[in-house]
Parts: sequence; C-alpha cells; structure tokens
Amino acid sequence: MKEALMSGPAPHDTRTTGRSLGPEAITPLVLFGLTILLVIASRWISPNLGGFHQVAAIIVLSSFLMVVAFGQQMVVLIGGLDLSVPSLLTLGGILTFGWSTASGWSLIWILLAVLVVNGVIGALSGAGIAWLRIPPFIMTLAMGIIVYSAALGITAGTPRGHPSAALASLFTGRILGLPPIIYLMILFVIAGTALQSYTPFGRKLYALGTSPVAAHVAGLPVGWLTVATYALSAAVAGVAGFLLVGYAGGATLVMGQSYLLPSIAAVVVGGTSILGGRGTYISAVAASLLLTTFSTIISSVQILEGWRTIIYGCVILIAIAALREDLPLWLNRSLQRPSRPPPQAANAQSAQ
Amino acid sequence: MSAVAGPLRVERHRRPVAGRLLGSGTVMVTVIYLLLLLVYALCQKNALSMTQFSDQLSNGLPLALAAAGGTLVVLMRGFDLSVAGVIALADVLTATHAADGQMGALLCLLMVVGVGLLVGAVNGFLVAYAGLQSIACTLATMIICSGAALLVLDAPGGSVPEFISDNLTGTLLAVPVPLIIALVVLFGWAVLRRTNWGVGLYALGADETAARLAGIPVRRVKFLAFCAAGALYGVAGMMLAAATSNGDPGAGTSYLLLVFAAIAIGGTTFTGGRGGLLGSMIGAATLLLLQKVLFSLGVSSFYTGIGQGLIMIAAVLIAAFSARLARRMPR
Amino acid sequence: MFRKHPLWGFVLGLVMAAGLVLAGLGTAARAASPKKFKIYLSLSYSGNAWQSEAANIVKALAATPPYDKLVDLKEVISGTDVQAQISAYESMIADGANGIISFPISSSGLDKAIRRGCKAGVLIWVYDGMVTEPCAYSVSYLPSGFGENTAQYLVNLLHGKGNIFLSRGVAGNMVDKRHYDGAMSVFKKYPGIHIVAEYYGMWDDQTTQLETAKALAAHPDVDGIWAQAGEDGALKAVLASGRQKLPKLTGENSNGFRLALANPAYQARGFNGVSSGSPPASAGVAFKLMMEQLVKGRKLPFHNILYPLPWVPANQVKICTGSTFENGCNAFPEGKVPDSFVDEVFNPTLVPELSIASALEGKPTPGATIQPLPPNSYFKQSPNVPGIDCNHCQAPADPYPLTKVTPFNSGT
Repeated sequence: MKEALMSGPAPHDTRTTGRSLGPEAITPLVLFGLTILLVIASRWISPNLGGFHQVAAIIVLSSFLMVVAFGQQMVVLIGGLDLSVPSLLTLGGILTFGWSTASGWSLIWILLAVLVVNGVIGALSGAGIAWLRIPPFIMTLAMGIIVYSAALGITAGTPRGHPSAALASLFTGRILGLPPIIYLMILFVIAGTALQSYTPFGRKLYALGTSPVAAHVAGLPVGWLTVATYALSAAVAGVAGFLLVGYAGGATLVMGQSYLLPSIAAVVVGGTSILGGRGTYISAVAASLLLTTFSTIISSVQILEGWRTIIYGCVILIAIAALREDLPLWLNRSLQRPSRPPPQAANAQSAQ
Repeated sequence: MSAVAGPLRVERHRRPVAGRLLGSGTVMVTVIYLLLLLVYALCQKNALSMTQFSDQLSNGLPLALAAAGGTLVVLMRGFDLSVAGVIALADVLTATHAADGQMGALLCLLMVVGVGLLVGAVNGFLVAYAGLQSIACTLATMIICSGAALLVLDAPGGSVPEFISDNLTGTLLAVPVPLIIALVVLFGWAVLRRTNWGVGLYALGADETAARLAGIPVRRVKFLAFCAAGALYGVAGMMLAAATSNGDPGAGTSYLLLVFAAIAIGGTTFTGGRGGLLGSMIGAATLLLLQKVLFSLGVSSFYTGIGQGLIMIAAVLIAAFSARLARRMPR
Repeated sequence: MFRKHPLWGFVLGLVMAAGLVLAGLGTAARAASPKKFKIYLSLSYSGNAWQSEAANIVKALAATPPYDKLVDLKEVISGTDVQAQISAYESMIADGANGIISFPISSSGLDKAIRRGCKAGVLIWVYDGMVTEPCAYSVSYLPSGFGENTAQYLVNLLHGKGNIFLSRGVAGNMVDKRHYDGAMSVFKKYPGIHIVAEYYGMWDDQTTQLETAKALAAHPDVDGIWAQAGEDGALKAVLASGRQKLPKLTGENSNGFRLALANPAYQARGFNGVSSGSPPASAGVAFKLMMEQLVKGRKLPFHNILYPLPWVPANQVKICTGSTFENGCNAFPEGKVPDSFVDEVFNPTLVPELSIASALEGKPTPGATIQPLPPNSYFKQSPNVPGIDCNHCQAPADPYPLTKVTPFNSGT
C-alpha cells in the first residue's frame, strides 16, 4: 500500500555488530539477568529452589516454548502473527506418535516427514497471505481451525500410537550429567540465530519486515519470503510437537493449546515488534526462559490463583516496559560509549 | 469534518456508486451475511422467525460489542488483546456486584463501563504516552484482568439480577433490546466519527506521520480510542452475563480470537485506516450465523471447523477483492 | 499493493461460497428420514480421552440394536464457549429434537436455553456435570465426593504428615472448585500436611506432566501428590525425575495410572494411591435412561441421579483379559489401550453392551443388544450442591462426608 511508503521507516540494517552495546545485545542480556536474579531470589521461598537441578529442569521445560517461539518470532518479524501454532504443534505430535508405531520408522525420517507435512501447510498459509492478501491473523486462525478439525476427525478424538524410546531418551538420557535435549537446544538456538542474522535469507526478512514496499522495490521476492517464513514457523511448531511426544510419551489433541499466548509473550517480551523489522531470536529465547522460570517459582507460592495470574501479567508488563527501545540507548549514553546516531525510528516506534 | 483531515477522505467520496458499494467492506459483509441467511432459510424451516432472530441477537451482541471496541484499536493499526480480560472481569462483576431493578442495572452499567475505561486508560497510556507496542502491553493487561476476574469469582456462578438477565435479552415495544443497544452504539459511533477524534482516528491509521504533521494530536486520539474500546468491552461483558445469567471467570478466553475474526470479516483492514464498527458488528453476526448454518447443513461435527475456516477465508477474500475491483473502476 | 493476481481470490471466494449454497440446497432437498427419535449429542470439546470416550459410547449405544433402528443421533461440538452451546441447544430445539444429551459446559449458564427446551417438550439429559435448571435430568458422580475421599486417602497413606502437591484442573472451573473444596476440607484438619506447590494441569496428561516437573524441580522432597485428571502425566513426571523413592499419588481413572498402582517394581519404591474420579460411563447411563423414557415411557422419581464414586486402591487393581470389565477386573494390559484411556467407561451392571472398540471408536459391540437398566430403586438421588445442581437451595449439613475411607487418627 502506498501509505506505508511514507510511514514506515526506511529499511536499515537493525542488526548491530558485537562491538557496541546496541539494543539487540542489551535486551537478551537484561532478560538473562532478570532470570538469574529470579532464580537466586527464589531461594527465599524454598531452599530447594535455585539449585543446579532446578536450572536444568527449567531449561528442559522451556525448550518447547523456545522452539515454537523461533517460528513465531520470524513471523512477527515480517509483521505477521501465527495463530496456527497450537494446531500445527498438535499435528506434529499426532503424526510423530502415530508413525512411531506404524512402521517403526527411524526418528529422523519421522522428523523429516513432520517437517514436510507441516511445512506444506505453513506454506499454504504463507501463499494466502502473500498472494491472496488475506490478513495473517485470519489466514493462520482459519488454517489452525481447519488443521485442528481435520486432526480431530481423523483421530476421532483419541490419537493412537506408541511412545518412542529413542525420542524419550532425549529427555531421560544423560550426557555429562545433562539430558541431551539441552545440548540440542543450544545447537538449535545457535542455528536459529545464525539463520536470522548471518544468512541472506535472514537479512532479507529484516528488510521485508521493516518495509514491505521498499523490499519489493529493491527486488526482493517478497511473496516467496513470506511463504518460506510461514512454512518455517509451521515446521518448527511440528518440531515442538515431535519433542513433546518424546517428553510425554504420547499425544493429545489439546497439547498445543497452551503454547499460543506464551509464544506471543516470549516474542514481544523479547522486544520483537509486531510492526516488523525489529528483534532477535536470542531475546525470545531469553524471554522464554524468564517466563518459564517465573511460572515455576510462582506455583510454589501459596496465594490464590487470581493473584498468581495478576503477578504473572505484571512481570510481562514490567519486562516490556524495562526493555523500551530507548532504555538501551539511555544505558548506552550513561555508559559513556560513543553513541550511535539516534535511530530514525523515533517516530515509527510509536506507530502502534 | 475538520479541514485538516478532509483531503484524506475526499478520494472515497468521489467514487461512482457501484465502486463505492463494492469497495465498502461493510456492504460486502452484509451481502455475505444475507447469502448465509439464504442458505440457512433453505435448510431450516423456521430460520426467519422472530424468536430465531431475537435469539441470535442476544447471543451475538457480546461478540458484536467486543468487535466494535476492537475495531477502534485496529483502525489505528493496533491490537487490543485486553478484550478477553475485560469481558471476563465485567462478566463476573455483573454476576456478583449488581443489584436488582432499574437503578441496579444502571449502576452495574456504570461499573462495567468504569472498569473498561480504567483498563482502556492503562492500555492507552502505555501505548500512546509510554510508547510500548500495543500487542505486548494489552497481552499483559489481559492476563492481569483475567487474574482479577478469578479473584472476584473463583468458579462460574454468582447470580445475575433478573432485571438484567430478562430485560437486556428481552424486547421493548416489540423491538429486541439487544438490537436497541447495538443501534445506540452505532449511533454514538456515527456522531463520534465526525468529530475531530473520529477523523483523527482514521487519519492516523492511514498514515501516522502525515497525521502528526497535519497537527492531529496523535497521542490523545490513541489514548481515547483505547478508552472507548475498553468501555465497549465492559458493556459486552455485562451483556454476556445477561445472556448466560451467570458469571464465569473464564468467559473471555473464547472471545480473544473471535473478535479479531469478526473485525477482519467485517472489512476493517489490519493495516489501518479502513473499515468501521458497523462492518465488525455484522461480521460478528456472520460468525454466529455460520455456526447455525453449519449445524443445519449437518456437517459432521468433527469437520465443522474445516467449513468454518474455509468460509472465514472466503469472506475475507470476497471483501478484499471486491474492494480491489472497486479501485480499478473508472472514475 | 502488488497486483499479482487481480481476480484470483475473488473467483476463489465466490466458488467457495457457491459450493456452500449448493450444499445447502442439497441438504434441503434431502427427504426427512422415517420416524426415528431425533437425539442430539452436545459436547464441549472432543479434545481429550475422557470427552471422546464419553461421546463414543453414546454413539456406540445408539448403533446397538434395537436402538440403531430407533435413533437418529447427531453430534455437535461447541468448544469451551458457553454461548456456542446455548446457540447449539437453540438450534436443536428449533430443529425439533426429541432429546438432547449433553456434557454441560456451565452449570448455570445454560438454564435459559434448557428451560425453553423443556417447554418445547425436549428431554434434556446432562452427564458428568450438572445444571441448576431443575427440569433437566442428570447422571453425575460430582456430589459423590472425589476430592475429600482421595484427600483423606492420601493423608492416611502419609500418616498425617508430609509435603504435597495439588495438581488441579482448570482455573475458574466449577468441577475443579468442587474437588478442591472437598480436598481442602480434609487437608485443613492436618497441620502436618504442607501444600508446597499448587498448579493447574488442565485435566490434560501433558500439561500436568510439564507442571508437575516444574514443581518437582522446586520441591524434590515431595511425599504425595493429590491430582485430578491428568494423573498419568504427574506419574510420568515423577518417574522421569529419576528419584528412587516415589511419592504417593491419588488421581482419576487413566489406565496408565492403574497399571502403575499395580506395578510391583513401583510399589517397592513406595508407590501407592487410589484411582477414583469422573466416569465416562455416566454418559452411557444418561443416554439409556433417556431412551427408556422415550421408548418405554419410564418414569423417574427424581431428576438428578448420583453415579457412585469409582474407587480402586492399589491393592484392588485387577487386569482384564477381555475387552470390557468382567469378573471384577478394572484395568487393561499395556498396549491394549493408550495410557490416557479412562477405564471407568465400563460398568457391567449399567452399560454391559460396551467394549474397548465402543469407547475408542464409537462402534457397537458385535452381537450385543441393549440390556434394560435396573429399576428406579437401584438409583440414588444426588444431594443438593448449591450452584451445581440447584439454585437457592440448602446444602446438607456436612457437604463433604467421607464415604470411601475413614479418617486417619494420629492418636492410634
């Protein structure tokens, strides 16, 4: 649309180099810092909290959210929102659970098949959004309903299958005293960050998110980029379902439902803007850890559920307020570093 | 209409009638609604009876009001997730704190509007003055409100005074009361959108920088839009309590996504500046009618969702592409 | 706007709409089926094992002779939204239903629609949950005291002291509150019982497992877990944590949990508990009672029928060899049904027609015919539970009486 030409900020490379403490570097640091503070402070509530085992458990438990948040963050980065995440996670889980029995396929083939099935469904959503101009909100909502309904019909409500021992060993096994999933997650986060920040695909997404029109004018394949992003989001949602089957040894039709709002929360607390073009995956990872840590601790506090919910909401509010765009700038200034030229985003930032 | 924003709207008014009709999301959603109604009438014998109509109105009003509120925020390219929280809070407050009789109903209305305004003001402040992104801070206020709703009522129950539950879903002089309430909201909107605030809302949704340069008090317009939206959610929550005659702290959850679906089907674009309340309210009615149509078609309930999803996409496609068609018409 | 496909979407949209209109015409043209009872099955959401088993057995019974010739059963899923269920009830009543059998999403939110249905002569039965509108009929275990009985059993196992978790259902839900209030009426009496964590498992195995794992990370020293549905997830979380000594666990009726209770290896590690809670069989009983009313004109002396609380302590788990409860068995061998399978879908007295295939796929058992239900004297009336099965009514003096277990006394 032509309005966007005027209102959107000019495309610029928002990624910072490691040399200066730009907002992209500070956000995850602040979030990691808050998480560590929370863990330490939790010892007041129970002396068992804050131990090595608890930290390891929190990382394991937040891994599903981290995986889902990767896709959600890419979608938000290009100015969309993926509401089909719960259904696609469920689909990934049902397929993994079902295929584990049918033929005794090896895990890697199951994973690949889940990636393909989910990727195709995500690509369909992406195509509707890119070429039929259906708002992402509606396209992914409708796709989510369709996929869920199909899964419900095909399984008749009860997914059947067998738990896979190999998949479960990701969580129950130990490598150097830690479950293998932790190492896998570290690899996943590194790969995700690399994909976003150090590949042409990732850079194009930032450009597309910042200004679709400018990206189009610059000759980027806007449509295909959009399709690829939604396909990727659907695929990683499937991976989360795959992992959950390993963790829980089964699949249910509601397994994805508790991941929609947390995935959005992780992404926005991580500073990614729905207006697109800003935010990094590592911040969303930090936010996932923070939110999981917090919910772990709050369930040990003997207060009414209403208060727990209110406090949870306040933590999200405080985190996003503390991570306001100009806070890092202010920090930068007070750290007496040579400040970068003020970003032209001063106007655009309040554009929502 | 203020002179400032005049030029931004002129384009719409010079189009030929056919183009204007095609281009209006509201007209298209009305056409879609009527099509669905036709299907419904064909396969359900008493589909067009007064009771059916009245039932649908009282069932659909909460969603319609919530969608109307959400539209105000979407018009300026924002997202307001707090709708789920405010509806739940207003719903349980009505079921626990309302007194019987006319006075009780009036006080209850003041209470829910007050709560809605308060939450809306917090959202508005955080977005307009503190510069936070709307989806993030309304997510937080939604969670806080649903927590508060749990504190007010820890399980479904309470009791809605009979005056509220009977009269707000009944008829007044043979006209269904929900229809009257919807018309009052639409009338209020018709007045407000001609004020500086209403014009500013569209202007800043279409192009915030231009609106700012044109001297529109962008922050105040945003702040007030969130407040008005909150107030409408509050009323929606009260109407929900009236329709179900009890309070439920989890009542808001199912509204979160439905509201946005109703807005999109109603022809309000998520890129701001186009659409309106009437479209969203008809969009809400369409979603509800859709349930009825799928019911009467006898689609196996497992697969109802597939029909629902496809029709949502179809509705948005028809609206969007007729709008594009309109733009291509010769002037 | 990038003009790639100017009319594509429009055409696509029109085609989809046209398809719908045609489908509508097709249905309208279809002749009304010969005289059968038109029964609607109104569900909340068919997302977990419990919900789908309850729905499946109703479908299976409706397909079992002679009901297969008498019943035209249609199923409608309303999600978790009360208004969607109200709207569904209204559609069913308008469609001239003879009966509605339903899992009620809300205990009082449906009253208006139910009242209208009763006026129109529709028989309305609800199962598992109850409604406050007195004209509806119900079959429910809810007032039979799952919360207090399991809580007392846990206290007894722990000899009145220890750290426990409460694994609850859905926040702000009436059933969850009833169970919780009952349980707390017991726990409050024992100062040695410390509730160190309380979380919501959404009655879902996976969610419960994740939440239990979080709580275990914070409190590895837990001695017992009081769980609502989802207990199999709590068990899995405990097993995955790798501890040697297992906590006591009380929960509902999943097959995985029952097998674990009977597992000698776990028992050796201190595992013990009781399986109780919500029986999907109540849906079948409600359906059969409704059909007897319609077909035989059966009269019932009261509307709210109490389904007795299932109660299987660890030492009473007995594995079945066939595909239903026979000879007092109450669990199935591993692999025959999913771990999440709710065993209390069977009841040899009330619904002997059912088999595993009925519960999992909604298929009638080959060769089975509908057996008559016992006389009215067999059934017990539910006590008053204000807000759940009646409005403005008086609750019994002791709302949480213990029926299955006697209180542990620290003095003896």
